[in-house]
Amino acid sequence: MVMLEVKGLCKSFDSNRVLNDISFKVDKGEVVAIIGPSGSGKSTLLRCLTLLEKVDQGTIIVAGDVMVQTNKEGHAVYAPESSLKKIRLRMGMVFQDFNLFPHFSVLRNITEAPVRVARISQDQAEERAMELLRKMGLEDKRDAYPYQLSGGQSQRVAIARALAMNPDILFFDEPTSALDPELTGEVLRVMRALAAERMTMVVVTHEMGFAREVADRVIFMDKGQIVEEGRPEVVLCNPSSERTRAFIKGLSEH
Amino acid sequence: MSYDWEGFVNLIVLLLEGAKVSVMVFFLTLFFAIPLGLLVAFGRMSRFRLISGPIKIYILLMRGTPLILQIALVYFGPYYLLPEGMKINLDRFVAAVAACTLNYAAYFAEIYRGGIQSIPKGQYEAAAVPGFSKIQTFMHIILPQVVKRILPPMGNEIITLVKDTALVQTIGISELFRVATVQASAKSSTIPLAAAGIFYLIMNWVVTEALQMAENKLNYYR
Repeated sequence: MVMLEVKGLCKSFDSNRVLNDISFKVDKGEVVAIIGPSGSGKSTLLRCLTLLEKVDQGTIIVAGDVMVQTNKEGHAVYAPESSLKKIRLRMGMVFQDFNLFPHFSVLRNITEAPVRVARISQDQAEERAMELLRKMGLEDKRDAYPYQLSGGQSQRVAIARALAMNPDILFFDEPTSALDPELTGEVLRVMRALAAERMTMVVVTHEMGFAREVADRVIFMDKGQIVEEGRPEVVLCNPSSERTRAFIKGLSEH
Repeated sequence: MSYDWEGFVNLIVLLLEGAKVSVMVFFLTLFFAIPLGLLVAFGRMSRFRLISGPIKIYILLMRGTPLILQIALVYFGPYYLLPEGMKINLDRFVAAVAACTLNYAAYFAEIYRGGIQSIPKGQYEAAAVPGFSKIQTFMHIILPQVVKRILPPMGNEIITLVKDTALVQTIGISELFRVATVQASAKSSTIPLAAAGIFYLIMNWVVTEALQMAENKLNYYR
């Protein structure tokens, strides 16, 4: 089953084209890593997929529901807000700098959207939140506030917050880039566990180790385009394009 | 010769009556200016120049001219501006509260704007992805954080307002300072003025304590 289908996505900021004819598919249970140099459009792509930015052209279909498609004049037409609302419920996002709500406790950070948006009862939301916190190894942090957490703990709470909405697909925007090296491990461990449970994930990352080990597929982007796409061992170890090779080589030299 | 204690008690009673008027102007101004300021802040941040333009001019006028002049204009203005036969006399007290409200709403609006614009974009995005509405996002995610951030500058303004209530005497309202100056000249004494000073100090001590309590209450997070 195709969970996410993207066709001919284009996006410009003023005259600067950041996404140029992006097309790819993500199957249910698949983990796709998106890699590429900074400024290649990876983050913008995720922001378009999660409705934080609007595309100029192209089609996005989430679990069979059309989020946006292009009309005959070549302009993107979004589904009505009522449909977008349903589509939002199927997507979760984990941000580079966590974006936890500082004025809410850890527990409330996780229950707020289920209670307010998905209209789940407080008790049920809390039960689910505790279940997720246990999974993250953070059940003792339920009453803590975000400022009391380390970066790794914050990111795990943010992952729990995204999972609390029971999304069909989870997006990660450089989830370990704001973390000290010794803290990235705990976040990657959680993501590995999610992958093992066949959670559908699209991960923008600089962690080549994670991409190689966990991703089913790697997409290499440069200058707003998908340059190469395939099994991690192929894209990361034996890339066919010169640009991918240069990028991978540049990384291993550091 | 013993001190005129009866005269002193009389003075305190008179000053208390004046202080009652000052306190009323103070609370009513806050009551109206705190929400009005939020509307003005939204207008100031509007993408539409038809809204943000006039609001900018309003803020410039309110912050750029003396409050004492604004109080006089609100009180006397309608009388001179309205055509013959339709002339009304605005109640002094209403005019005073209206002028203070308009003035303070402008200052509050700029404080709100600073607070709102200081909240990181990521907070809006973290709320947008799971589908919080714009109103939910503002009321539950943004506003509580704004309140914490603007408390110190709002405290400054609120303390200034306690003292600015003295300006409403310009349209003949017998508030605390007016009573004190009348008593001072009647008795050829500076004691009424000093006593009034202590009254203002006590009021602002209470305000300061209240603000501190509010800050402590919001100190549970950073």
